Amino acid sequence: MSGDATDGEVVSETDPAVDIAEQAATEEPELDRGIVEAWAARMISNPQLAYRATFYVATIFFLVTTLFPFYWLLVLALTPRNSLSEVGVFLPAGFNPGAFIEIFTTLPFHRYVFNSFLIATIATVAVLFVGSLAGYVFGRLDFRGRNPLLLLVLVTSFFPPAAFFIPLNRLFNMNVDVLRPLISAGSLYNTPYAIFIPLSAIFLPLSIFILMTFYSQIPDGLEDAARVEGTTRIGALFRVIVPLSAPGVATAGVLTFISVYNEYFFSSLMTDGQPESWAPMLEGILRFQGEFEVLYNLMAAASIVAVLPVAILVVVAQEKIVSGLTTGAVKE
Amino acid sequence: MSTDMGSNGPDSLLARPLNWLETQSEEVYAYVLLMPAFALLAVVAFYPLIETFRFSLLADAVASADPFGEFTGIDNYLNLLSGDTTFTQQFISITTADSFPFVEFGAPFLQQAIFVTLAFAILSVFFETIIGFGQALVLDQDFYGRRWVRVAIIIPWAIPIVIQGMIFFLIFNPTIGFGSEFMQWLGVFGSNPLSSSSDSFLIVLVADIWKTTAFMALLILAGLQSIDRGLYDVAKVSGASPWQRFKYITLPLVAPALIVAMLFRTMDAMRIYGLIDATAGCETVPSLTCLVIIALQESRRWATASAVAFLTAVVISGFVVVYLLALRNNDGGVT
Repeated sequence: MSGDATDGEVVSETDPAVDIAEQAATEEPELDRGIVEAWAARMISNPQLAYRATFYVATIFFLVTTLFPFYWLLVLALTPRNSLSEVGVFLPAGFNPGAFIEIFTTLPFHRYVFNSFLIATIATVAVLFVGSLAGYVFGRLDFRGRNPLLLLVLVTSFFPPAAFFIPLNRLFNMNVDVLRPLISAGSLYNTPYAIFIPLSAIFLPLSIFILMTFYSQIPDGLEDAARVEGTTRIGALFRVIVPLSAPGVATAGVLTFISVYNEYFFSSLMTDGQPESWAPMLEGILRFQGEFEVLYNLMAAASIVAVLPVAILVVVAQEKIVSGLTTGAVKE
Repeated sequence: MSTDMGSNGPDSLLARPLNWLETQSEEVYAYVLLMPAFALLAVVAFYPLIETFRFSLLADAVASADPFGEFTGIDNYLNLLSGDTTFTQQFISITTADSFPFVEFGAPFLQQAIFVTLAFAILSVFFETIIGFGQALVLDQDFYGRRWVRVAIIIPWAIPIVIQGMIFFLIFNPTIGFGSEFMQWLGVFGSNPLSSSSDSFLIVLVADIWKTTAFMALLILAGLQSIDRGLYDVAKVSGASPWQRFKYITLPLVAPALIVAMLFRTMDAMRIYGLIDATAGCETVPSLTCLVIIALQESRRWATASAVAFLTAVVISGFVVVYLLALRNNDGGVT
């Protein structure tokens, strides 16, 4: 089709009565073309080839742009400290895998990563439990006020965390005597609670939407059967509906874990940055940047170590991530 | 009652409320189950939001133990919007006022922050939409190794913000990174990009596009895959060129998904803080959230910070409304 359009002039010169197929066959050899033009002509006469070529070029371009920064991080991490300024774009200047050990000896980086894991795990469990109850209600029950309440949940995800931060900061810094037996300082600042409570609430709406979608797809008959067998309503939820929606629960869990592990705003503001005060992984990375200004190889090595868990999670659970992100958004 | 069996005997502490729940109507049951979720949201979202608004109506009390003074009404907002509120740190090293972010030295801080935030949101969402569409079209094809290409495209989305910041901090570091050298060779960057506002703005923009295009791509892909393939066959038979097929079938049908994706990304882009904090620093590229933190930590002006925070929320809601209107018009037009 596009061939006709480009060769319009040639077409008009020929006898209008001539068959179109004949035209296409005869007009090509008449022209004397350079390499680029010949290539372009081939692409025009065979668009399929052009699309194929564009497709491969685009794929390779996207692969290089997304993955190259990681490769270069590895290059930088392997470069010995005294030749850091000579680090190349493609190859390290020397070979020093010791940086991956050094990050744990200069700072207790493992403690930071552990803190992050703990916070992300607690938040995931909390979100899945609370989100399951709410998702069940919104997905399977019909009651007055369902839509306004759902809208209220949705609206909270519109607000920036900064709009919640100042009162929360005050609240978590407040000394509450009731908490003294639990937390020595008496306030929630510098405890995992100060991070996972706000993050659980912020990532709760997405999980509610995902779980709601999955729970609403379980046939009513299965729930009724469980009730006839003698389980409670809550029992039917946790013994029938949740297990049957395992893929949905996994999706919500994976997304919550990744989101909490990756979060910056509250994670950087709710502790004083010391590993003993439950500072998450991000504080560890920032300390490499702040305190050891020229140890770029350690910054790179620490980043690689901290990225590995989520990278593995993405490879293992990519279908879940894709379906979760799309159901979460389409629910809108 | 047979319901006792469900709660499994020994923990009667749990069994009792469960039994009580059995006797209630469906409506009561629904409200009871929603309580934990709304309790959490109330503590972390509803109450702080109202408090933030209340704080923003009070005066700053920088020196006293309690950071809030007497009630002043909307003075904080008026001062912010008229440019009377100045912070200890003003924008430094604006050398290129006539080129890219067009921020002029000495402009009131809030105006700079609003400008930076809006420019960042609009530009990043624009490029992410275009590149994300490209990625989605690639992923929509059937080819060998599609799964791995998809993993590669998703990975940047899944990495922690601090590491995204670190990667671009290192790439554009003048002594070791190749990014600055390349951009200087192009003549775009000055000698120390990470302390120049316009250069850092570009770095933050590129970093954001690198990370979050995948999100856009996945949502657009979902839209693409919901299109009935039969439509393309019909179009092919009636002689539509691939460009026409894209323009008259793909684009209109994917538009709702596209607008939703853009809405999510815009809301997210307007909250930008972590990436800036981990690369160039909040003083170099002040976004609205950066302004909240600066007012809070460096000058202890809590009331002003609350006003900025609430203003950020208002600006974001404005965008949400615009998108929702677009979505509604779109629905009316196509279907």
